Amino acid sequence: MSDQHMASAASTGQQLEDLLRQCVQCGLCLPHCATWLATGNEVQSPRGRLLLLGEMLRLDGTDTAPVPGAFLRAFDQCIGCRACETACPSGVPFNLLEYGQQRAMAMPLDRMGGLPRPAVPGPFLRRMDRPDFLGFLSRTAGLARSLLAVAVGKMWRRRLAEAPVGVGHLVRLLGSMPASPRTDTGLLQMLDGLCHREPRDKQVSEVSTPVPAPPGHGPRVAFFHGCANAGLLPGTSRRFVDLLGWAGCRVEEPLEQDCCGALASHTGRPGRAASLRARNRNAFSGVVAEGAVIVAEAAGCGHELKSYGEEFQEKVVDGVVLLAGLDLPPLGRVPLRVVYHDPCHARHGQGIIAEPRRLLAAIPGLELVEPEEAEVCCGSGGAWGLRYPEISADLGRRKAANLAATGADLVVTSNPGCLGQIADGLLLDTPGLPILPLTDLIWYAVKRGSTT
Amino acid sequence: MSDQERDFPTVFLAELKEILGVAGFHADEATRLVYSRDASHLTIGQPLAVALPADDSQLRQVIALCGNAGVPVVCRGTGTGLSGGAVPGSGSVVIGTSRLTALGPVDLTGRRVRVQPGALNDGVSRHSADCGLHFAPDPSSQAAASIGGNIAENAGGPHCLRHGVTLQHLLHLEWSDDRGRLLRTGRGLAAERGLDLVSLLCGSEGTLGLVTSSDLRLVANPADESTLLAFFPDLEDAARAVVGLLSEGLAPVAVEMVDQAMLAAVEEAFGFGFPTDVEAAMIVEFVGQPEEITEDGIRASALLSDNGAREVRSAADDAERTELWKCRKKAFGAVGRLAPSYVTMDVVVPLGELPGLVREIQVIKAEHGVNIATAFHAGDGNLHPGVHYDDRDPDQTRRAHAAADSIIRAALDRDGSVTGEHGVGIEKLHVVPWQIDGESARLQRGIKDIFDPGNILNPGKLHPPADAHFRQVKPLPDGIEFKWPNLTVTAPADTTLVEIQETAMERGFWIPVGAFSGNPGIGLGAGGTVGDLVAHLVSGPAFCAAGTARQYLLELWAETGDRRLFHAGAPVFKNVAGYDLVHMLCGSGRVYARPLAATFQLRPIPESVGCWHFPLADPNRREEDLGRLTRFLAQRDDGLGGPVMIVDTFAENPEPGAVILVPGRDRPWDLGQVDKDIKDILDVPQSVAHREFPFGRARELLDSGLIPDWALSSPEWTFFARLPDEDATPGMWPSTAGRWIWQAAPRLVWSPDPAAPYPGWHSDLFCTDGRMQTPCAPVDGVPLEFLKKMKVLFDPSGALDTPPWLEEKDV
Repeated sequence: MSDQHMASAASTGQQLEDLLRQCVQCGLCLPHCATWLATGNEVQSPRGRLLLLGEMLRLDGTDTAPVPGAFLRAFDQCIGCRACETACPSGVPFNLLEYGQQRAMAMPLDRMGGLPRPAVPGPFLRRMDRPDFLGFLSRTAGLARSLLAVAVGKMWRRRLAEAPVGVGHLVRLLGSMPASPRTDTGLLQMLDGLCHREPRDKQVSEVSTPVPAPPGHGPRVAFFHGCANAGLLPGTSRRFVDLLGWAGCRVEEPLEQDCCGALASHTGRPGRAASLRARNRNAFSGVVAEGAVIVAEAAGCGHELKSYGEEFQEKVVDGVVLLAGLDLPPLGRVPLRVVYHDPCHARHGQGIIAEPRRLLAAIPGLELVEPEEAEVCCGSGGAWGLRYPEISADLGRRKAANLAATGADLVVTSNPGCLGQIADGLLLDTPGLPILPLTDLIWYAVKRGSTT
Repeated sequence: MSDQERDFPTVFLAELKEILGVAGFHADEATRLVYSRDASHLTIGQPLAVALPADDSQLRQVIALCGNAGVPVVCRGTGTGLSGGAVPGSGSVVIGTSRLTALGPVDLTGRRVRVQPGALNDGVSRHSADCGLHFAPDPSSQAAASIGGNIAENAGGPHCLRHGVTLQHLLHLEWSDDRGRLLRTGRGLAAERGLDLVSLLCGSEGTLGLVTSSDLRLVANPADESTLLAFFPDLEDAARAVVGLLSEGLAPVAVEMVDQAMLAAVEEAFGFGFPTDVEAAMIVEFVGQPEEITEDGIRASALLSDNGAREVRSAADDAERTELWKCRKKAFGAVGRLAPSYVTMDVVVPLGELPGLVREIQVIKAEHGVNIATAFHAGDGNLHPGVHYDDRDPDQTRRAHAAADSIIRAALDRDGSVTGEHGVGIEKLHVVPWQIDGESARLQRGIKDIFDPGNILNPGKLHPPADAHFRQVKPLPDGIEFKWPNLTVTAPADTTLVEIQETAMERGFWIPVGAFSGNPGIGLGAGGTVGDLVAHLVSGPAFCAAGTARQYLLELWAETGDRRLFHAGAPVFKNVAGYDLVHMLCGSGRVYARPLAATFQLRPIPESVGCWHFPLADPNRREEDLGRLTRFLAQRDDGLGGPVMIVDTFAENPEPGAVILVPGRDRPWDLGQVDKDIKDILDVPQSVAHREFPFGRARELLDSGLIPDWALSSPEWTFFARLPDEDATPGMWPSTAGRWIWQAAPRLVWSPDPAAPYPGWHSDLFCTDGRMQTPCAPVDGVPLEFLKKMKVLFDPSGALDTPPWLEEKDV
């Protein structure tokens, strides 16, 4: 699945042309493409982009004027969600579009007629793969949200949505910081409330801890927490490690690990991406050599790690997939209607569809529902959403509306970018509907399962 | 060149941008390249600009601007068409409907929904799912194809075998003409008559007008489904089995097939585990009540085995059903991997000709040395042979196209059509003259001139050049011709319907018009002829909520006012080769053309008719009972046609009451269940008398005295209808008891008594005389100027019937 490298490897025009021929222009990819759904413009569709790629290759072979900026802009605006690859009946590989994206990224901005101004300034954007910076952002944002709720009222998000561009932008950024209760108590209280459970008197923290399975019962696991989860969702990360422990895994957290490099890679900083890659390789090579699997908590990280190379591809496991294969302690009742949002990096990038659903279906009392347009990207796309904020906002609202339309009591997902993006869409239109990381819900079910 | 001329594109584009705004106006190199292509691999040039209007007002303004500037307009949905209908020429403007995607609320009782043209086909079905309804036309592209595109091409699909093509599901259209005026066509009434512009617009491939909104008819989701997958060692045997299956009177909802080459491609691409050593895989699907489909499934299974099937599998549940359909639904995707290019064909032949055509294709394949993988809508006689080739090899390319042309000639030799559902576009311009005669072509060009004199609406599509060499008019039939393997009957206009129906019913088939047996009875009288039916479209109560006799009319020979003979249509179940003159003219009286002969599709007769007769002493209960009965019976939409009706005998003495007639099967779970339900509704079960009669021997019913005389033999009828948006007004039922026949289809009632106007019901939409008079005046929204020009085109000297409102020749 190291398709990103396949794209550069298949760089001969002939190979690309052969791959291009697989596209029969049927158009069945269009309804799955988030940018086409948002704009209605077929340039912003997989089929459209492939037509442009074909023309680009043709122009490359001639002495005529260089590729028009408009072509490259179309590639730049591709989210990279790969929903088209899943949908394509002829098996056209996504690396064709990635090739176009790489071309676009290599172009000077002025050649493309400029790109949309990103929602956050460059220096800001570049720091967003550092956990400590993200942690700082998260705490500030949390404070700001509380203040706004007090000053403007509960509907602060909707009321400020129509504010002038600068304020509106900032408010959206505040709304789309992924968040889940930092403390275990906080999470228990939140979900108990949602399930209409009586508060278990003041000693909530005295809920007994599930007895972990004997060590050696489960696999040996090297935990890759990723920058976003570490910085923005520390409670969730910690609880995920708890879960792994309860399932009998021996969990280690190599200290020298760093961001997987996806952000650097997608914002045109191959140097930083390479050095991050090297750092992580070093950090994990020891435990991997000793037979551990690397578990990635976020779908995006898992997808990126799998592109590191052969041995990583075999050893990296998505967190949800791993959990679905383990013997968890007994799960308590969770009488909620729940809808799961598939992160693109899971559903399309790694083919992970059944496992999260299997996990949720195993929870007693839980009703699992499916949304319309389940396969369509939420519009986060990591850095993409920050660079194309208007379309990203439209897509976030569309996704939130589809999820809310199922009548669910709770949305769960397994990627921080999606979590934040959908949280903002929900906050705007259906503030009563919460969203949580999937693993937090599983953690809760195990906790409640151990209390008699 | 003047300054003005040099600046024309700049000025024009600026004005276009002014209308559309930044989100809707695109003229950069990328957009112009992408919109120069659709799914057909054909190209002409690049458009000047692409317009993506946000609402229909912007759309019409764009058309008006283009019309004034003489700039051609090419409309595009999602670009999934296969005949090049959406590819633009240089200097044109493409109007994309992808931002016009609104779906209105579903009208549950009326089974309809209003949608914008950019709404996706299966999006409509998902939207209606909560109401237990769906949109029946299901082309393979349905996940991406737009409704507007479906209307432009009169799209088909596997389930059209039973439910009909897109035209049978259009109730009302709002559309823009060439000047950007908003026009409305179609009242959505079951028995509407006059020149049918919905039939003309549907399948007109964007050359006459652009649809901005459509009211779609929805079909009930089936109670249950049964799917069979059969494997045949011999392809011709498989084709013969299809003919055999339908000739037995079975009415599956879909009969599909793929050949060995297609099956092998699917297996190689997806590895589903289908056998690849058979020449054909066939899917047969039934819908209905569980007992009904079990019965049908068993019969079908036995028939298929008797006709050469090596194996017949049956789906036990939805998951298995999806598995079985994979060999057909995935064909499209597998094909892309077979060869760099292919000619996607779309020929259709009369059902009985399918085995012969299949045999001939094998010969053509060998003669030209090409690979062909074929998918069939077998029950409709419609097939998609895909001729593969590598377009980088000129010899292969030449041979592939030669093979394709040979297949078309073979289909035409068998009375078929060059296109069953994909349309003409640019792809089939060179073969349309092989199929249609010069007079028909002249009339079609004349219609185009009426609707679009400036030729700005999708120019260069659908119409072969005027100087092409068209075929001679197809010879008229000498007498009645029953073609049983084709399930069609062709007859001259003066043939009485009684004659046709009596013969057909002996074989278990009929044209679903009139009431029972050979007695067209209500509406046309015993002397009613084929010509009368074509001209006046009096279907009688035979149809339910589904279509009219227009649906079963396939082919027409007619004469213009100045005695020019022309032929339209073909004896096939799906046909989109040019404008649909057949259905446009059907029901327009003898005003534009004089019918000379016609071909109808034959459908299996219902097995039995159940008859319930009950007295009702309390007149206060009448409205309530009628309301509940009508609503109950309106649910019985089985797509086959049959006289579901309530004869209101409340005015009779000494026994006021009603008679209910429902066709169906004499089984506990069918008419037996209807019996229980009716008794439940009426609450006085002991007074309800119930008998059943075999449909083919309905003489017994007629002689039984259960149905009053006037219901069977009145010479004249008045039709009353309510318009869909009038449901909320009170006075739903006529408050005076009289002689009425209530159509189980909502909103339609007949009476032999002269029109007695009462609130909420219209009698002016139809002619008081159901038989021989001219159609009544058009209602609001139908542009009179178009009809007047049509009159001049078809009947320049006014030799035919001319109603007063067409009299003034001020055109």
